Parts: sequence; structure tokens; C-alpha cells
Amino acid sequence: MAPNFSAILPLLVRSDVQFIVIGGGAALAHGSARLTYDVDVVYARDPENLRRLAGALQPYQPYLRGAPPGLPFRWDERTLKSGLNFTLTTTLGDLDLLGEVAGGGFFEQLLPFTQEMETFGVRCRFVTLEKLIQLKRAAGRPKDLEVIAELQALLEERRRGASTGA
Amino acid sequence: MRGELDKQAPETKAVIAQHELAPAEYSDPVIEAYKKDVDRTLLRENLKLTVEERFVKFEQFWKYAQALREAGRKSRQTE
Repeated sequence: MAPNFSAILPLLVRSDVQFIVIGGGAALAHGSARLTYDVDVVYARDPENLRRLAGALQPYQPYLRGAPPGLPFRWDERTLKSGLNFTLTTTLGDLDLLGEVAGGGFFEQLLPFTQEMETFGVRCRFVTLEKLIQLKRAAGRPKDLEVIAELQALLEERRRGASTGA
Repeated sequence: MRGELDKQAPETKAVIAQHELAPAEYSDPVIEAYKKDVDRTLLRENLKLTVEERFVKFEQFWKYAQALREAGRKSRQTE
């Protein structure tokens, strides 16, 4: 199922969920031309945010991606509290909820490296391009080498545009 | 052997930590090699769009790719 940014991001913002878009979604927001397969967000782990997050996604049947059907998986605040990172399917599309991310830490640690951008009628928080490059590097996956190259090229293009006023 | 690795571990960890926290501009020959293949015209076009337009373009492309995939699947079934 396609990553559904146009539905998931406004849903989370309007439900007052504290989250930061990272991964391919953040890369897209910064101008990347690469495909991504899910929506990746780092979420705050305080009880109020867990309650909001659980409530926001409840109507969209969150389930563990790749797990066999019929597992006794209950989507609620308690499950969120017991776990940390969840790779989910929902009726809105695939969604990765990360309590912590390599190279970025928890929500509060990542927060200073974010910027708000407006999209689909809401203001949404994305990790900065510079930090995204660091996160990709910290992930240490061979497949990210191409991604890092593209993100660095974006950074160069952006700076070139800024210096020429384009 | 294990003792030797243990001796090297702090140094290795330090190198990894340094690499992880290197500035965004930090590059290496591998990244530079990949960078040569980046299509900058696509990036320049994307940078002219708003954030929302970038997402819409992406989602439209995804739908198009899925339709192609589905057509390919149906075509193989009828062969």
C-alpha cells in the first residue's frame, strides 16, 4: 500500500500528536526524488501523547506489518507504552512509529533539529535536511549510501540556490 | 584473538561515533561516487515546488506505478 502522507500527517497533527517526520517522508519534503514505502515518524513517549496517538490511529486498524493475521495484537496506550518502535499497516497506509532512532535519540533529543513546514492544511514538524543526512549515516545500511548522496546533492543545490538568489 | 579485539573496541567505537556525528557535508569517496549519478535536474524541479506539491507529485507517481504493476500482473495471468 502506498505511503499516504496526505491522510496520515493531517490526522496526527489534528489529533495533537507530538511527532517528527523522518526518513523518506522528510527527504521528500526537502525535495528528494526517491520513492519511499512508508511514513516514518518519531513520537513523544509521554503518557498524554501515547493516549492521543493510540486514539488517533484506532479507527484505522493498526496491525503489525508482516505478522501473520489473527495475532492477539491490541492497539492501545498500554501496547504503545510496552513497546518502542512499531512497524504498522493501517487502512491509511504503512506507518513506522519510532520511539527512538539511531543517531537522533528520542523525540525530545531530535526536536532541536527539526523545522515546521506547512502541508495539507497543517503545520508539520520535519527533521532538518542536515540532521536527516546524519540519521541516514547512523543507520549504517548499504542501501542508504545512494540516499545520502542524493541528500547531500540537495543540500548543495539548496545552498547554491540561496547564494544565487534562485 | 578476542583479547586483541577487546583492546581495539574503544578505538573502533570512537571511529564509529565520529562517523555518525560527522557534519551533514562530510563526504567520503563512496558517497562522492554515488553523487555523480544523482539526477540534479529532478532535484532542481522539486525545489521549485511547495512541500505539499512535492508530496502530491510523489503520491500520484506511486498510484501510476501501482497501476502499471497491476496491469503487468493481469497481463501475465492472461498469457
